[in-house]
Amino acid sequence: MTNYSALLAATLLTCAAAAAASSAAVAEQKPAAKPAPQAAAAPTPESTARYTQAATGNSLGFAFMQADALNEGTFRQFSTELTYDEKNLAASTLKVTVQVGSLDTGDQERDDTLKTPELLDTAKYPTAQYLASSLAKGAGGKLEAVGKLTLRGVTRELRLPLTLKPTAAGLELTGETTIRRLDYEVGQGDWKSTEWVGNDIKLKYQVALTRAR
Amino acid sequence: MSFRNTTRSWGFLSKAFHWVIVLMILNQWIIAERAESLPKGPALIQALWWHKSFGITILVLAILRLLWRWMNPVPDLGAETRPWERVLAKISHVLLYALIFAMPLSGWMMSSARNFPVSWFGWIQLPDLVGRDPQLYELLKDLHGTLFAVLVSVAALHVAGALKHHFIDRNDVLRRMLPFGRVK
Repeated sequence: MTNYSALLAATLLTCAAAAAASSAAVAEQKPAAKPAPQAAAAPTPESTARYTQAATGNSLGFAFMQADALNEGTFRQFSTELTYDEKNLAASTLKVTVQVGSLDTGDQERDDTLKTPELLDTAKYPTAQYLASSLAKGAGGKLEAVGKLTLRGVTRELRLPLTLKPTAAGLELTGETTIRRLDYEVGQGDWKSTEWVGNDIKLKYQVALTRAR
Repeated sequence: MSFRNTTRSWGFLSKAFHWVIVLMILNQWIIAERAESLPKGPALIQALWWHKSFGITILVLAILRLLWRWMNPVPDLGAETRPWERVLAKISHVLLYALIFAMPLSGWMMSSARNFPVSWFGWIQLPDLVGRDPQLYELLKDLHGTLFAVLVSVAALHVAGALKHHFIDRNDVLRRMLPFGRVK
């Protein structure tokens, strides 16, 4: 009796889950009302273009609140690689490598403080990396990279909103997002407090990408 | 005590400006000394937040105080005051007024030169007065300290003058600025 009702409940649950999953799948497909389903578009080398970061015209800014005022800085050194196929976002990739020690807030003392072990610990973690193995259309049809950010040795899922605009040499990638520094353990000891240095770190990026041949 | 000044005594508002600014400057001194001893960290950021917020408050009070002075009679030093005393009093008063502007302004510029925007008690973020400039910052930092040394010296002279009026000349000059002082 007990076994039977448990089995019945499990069966019902499975059916419900399957129904929910299929309706979700339908809902997901609806906005992308394209005749060619995604599975049919297998990645072909010809349609996927490779892009690398141009020598100039790039910026990666960050901003955070300190003592109720906005403190801003940039990373001077970072590199970006993108493989992009407009028709096959799932096969597109994005890789950004940031030299964390290249940060510049306009004040040497603040830069040095940010590099200390209690904050970004650039001696131990000289680079931060964002790796996305696919792109996707997020809420509202906006393009997003679906990937993971590794910062200060902590890796977390991060969807990175981006806008890609064609340029003479390739593409211009722009966007902004907000991450929380404590998610990546940036802030040990007294710096764990977010009262005087905020948790939210706004990132703003603009990258000139050159099509590789 | 009237709200406005009379030709014989300071009114309530002038006294309030004087004593509130005195207390705030002493408080600024204490916070600055404490900040000097703190390592880099949230506690230092907090101390500087107070120092900057009070500094901007002093600047606002200085503006209002000067406007109020122009809108009111200034009590005279009295007929028995000698010319050299008048000159000395005038110089020190002009300096003290100048310093309650120069101290906060140089401090604000210090923050701007290091690319640390100033917030006034978290209510508003103030615009930067100068662009980022590490050399200018060093100059302003020295200036801020020097101006404070001048402020302490002139304030000491100011107090000495007031005490002389009270204990040696035995006139109303000190009493008329005291919070509950009565003028005969």
